[in-house]
Amino acid sequence: MEKKLSKIPSGIPGFDEISHGGVPKGRATLVSGASGSGKTVLSVQFLYKGVSDFKENAVFVTFEETPEDISRNIKSFGWNIEKLTREKKWAFVDASPDEGDNVEVGQYDLGGFLARIEYAIEKVGAKRIAIDSVSALFTNFQSSGIIRRELYRIIRRLKELNVTCLMTAERPTEDGGVSRYGVEEFVSDNVVLLHNRLNLRGERERTVEILKFRGSGHDSEEAPLIVSNIGMNMYPRPKPKLCGKGFTEKISTGVEGLDDMFFGGVYRNSTTLVSGASGTGKTVSTLHFVIEGASKKEKSLLIEFEESPDQLCRNASSFGWDLKKYVDEGSLQLIAHYPEDLKSEQYLKIIQDLVLKNSAKRVALDSLSALERIYSEEKFRSFVIGLNAFLKIQNVTSLLTNTTSQLLGLSQITETHLSTVTDNIIILKYVELGGKMRRLLSVLKQRGSMHNKELMEYQIDPKKGLDILGPFKGVENLLSGSARRVEIRFDEEAAETEFLKESSEGRI
Amino acid sequence: MTTKYVLKLYVTGQTSSSQKAIKNLENIIKHELRGLYQLKVIDVLKEPRLAEEDKILATPTLTKILPRPIRRIIGDLSDKESVLLGLDLTVE
Repeated sequence: MEKKLSKIPSGIPGFDEISHGGVPKGRATLVSGASGSGKTVLSVQFLYKGVSDFKENAVFVTFEETPEDISRNIKSFGWNIEKLTREKKWAFVDASPDEGDNVEVGQYDLGGFLARIEYAIEKVGAKRIAIDSVSALFTNFQSSGIIRRELYRIIRRLKELNVTCLMTAERPTEDGGVSRYGVEEFVSDNVVLLHNRLNLRGERERTVEILKFRGSGHDSEEAPLIVSNIGMNMYPRPKPKLCGKGFTEKISTGVEGLDDMFFGGVYRNSTTLVSGASGTGKTVSTLHFVIEGASKKEKSLLIEFEESPDQLCRNASSFGWDLKKYVDEGSLQLIAHYPEDLKSEQYLKIIQDLVLKNSAKRVALDSLSALERIYSEEKFRSFVIGLNAFLKIQNVTSLLTNTTSQLLGLSQITETHLSTVTDNIIILKYVELGGKMRRLLSVLKQRGSMHNKELMEYQIDPKKGLDILGPFKGVENLLSGSARRVEIRFDEEAAETEFLKESSEGRI
Repeated sequence: MTTKYVLKLYVTGQTSSSQKAIKNLENIIKHELRGLYQLKVIDVLKEPRLAEEDKILATPTLTKILPRPIRRIIGDLSDKESVLLGLDLTVE
């Protein structure tokens, strides 16, 4: 009976989830990719984190770059290999190119190579080794038969020494075989591919894919991969575990009239979507929400994509809210910047890290549309589902905003995936009445509880923020024409039906 | 003017290619270099640090340090003419 394969943490965030545990211990794993796919960074990080986080010393065998180049390049991540070398926790085996070719006369083996590897492992007591890249052996020597045989021998020896090995290999093209020279034939048990493709928008998209891990499970999908200034991160698609706690307690949105519409507030752990055209007060609603939390010493996080930090603080203080005070106190965390710089996968991780670090109980995000504008439907969807699933598991109550165009309004909401993922939906609209622009608020749904279905008038009061005035009574044709109004009612019913249907089918 | 050959031969213990290389090299030295040489045989298993310094991967590896330029030949040196060519020695 085959023993379950044990794995060691890879040191690359996201990889351990994709691989269901990490890198196979004491075995050789092949990482194959075209140039620029991140092989060297991955192998260095695997070793570096192995030393710094897991106290496993490392040997790095380099065929392409010199040890000096690698140490220098890696400094940009803030990692100091020279220090580790001095402390005898890291050793290089320098197989980088020398001047001149080898002349081959007769039989040979890679005895020198193996002796150097063993020497280095012994010198630092290494438990991890990376060889970057094994393909260079085939390029440098003429007899591929000898090289294959010797590689096999080296891998066997590393297994005897119980050292976990990561080997990189070149892929000539994205969609060719696993690797040049067919290296995978004998490191065939554990194969990871790094892809580096151009997407439809002409952007580089790097992903990781586990082709196989012998004797163990792993994700089969490709996951996005990002190399930032702190190293490499992978972003497996979150699998929403539908195990969030049931709804029981209700908490305040920070807007009194709104809590009434929800008959006491929104459920803790619920996700509320505030949808409306620009200027309708969505940002204000997020401010209400986080200030409510922060003022009651509930750790809150506001993620702002539509305004700069200064604009936001000015906005808030014009309503009498001192954001800075709550930030200094530690009960409010603020991220405010335009999302073009990072990719959506990074944002999910940043948000997750912040929530975990501060044990945030309230999160508001303004707006999802800022991300939707930039990312593919697939990525955006992944982000929303992943964020929602994460927040549920962390028992966080959230408020997310969505910018819609004035005309489409309700029907757009009910058709998008957003409506299935959120528990509560609030619509903010402008309406024209008697030649004037008035503001309309409607609660479209509240999962798990009844809500006030009346269409309410509200205003943005300079002293109070969102101020709900009361229902639009005795008024017909609120949305420009009776035909329109009927249509809206129909949409509300359709939305409710959809919601009931999905609840009964047990989907989120 | 006598030029001295400075050679290093890296081997791995007692493997057959290591033994062959030593024997073949002794042969060449006796017949072609006529005493004008300095040879060091290094066993990578015993002195891996030296192998690391000289960046040796394959064994056997014969390195000609002097006269310049530096030349490297890997293998059991079974073909004498190729070895001589590799060492920049012409056969008279």
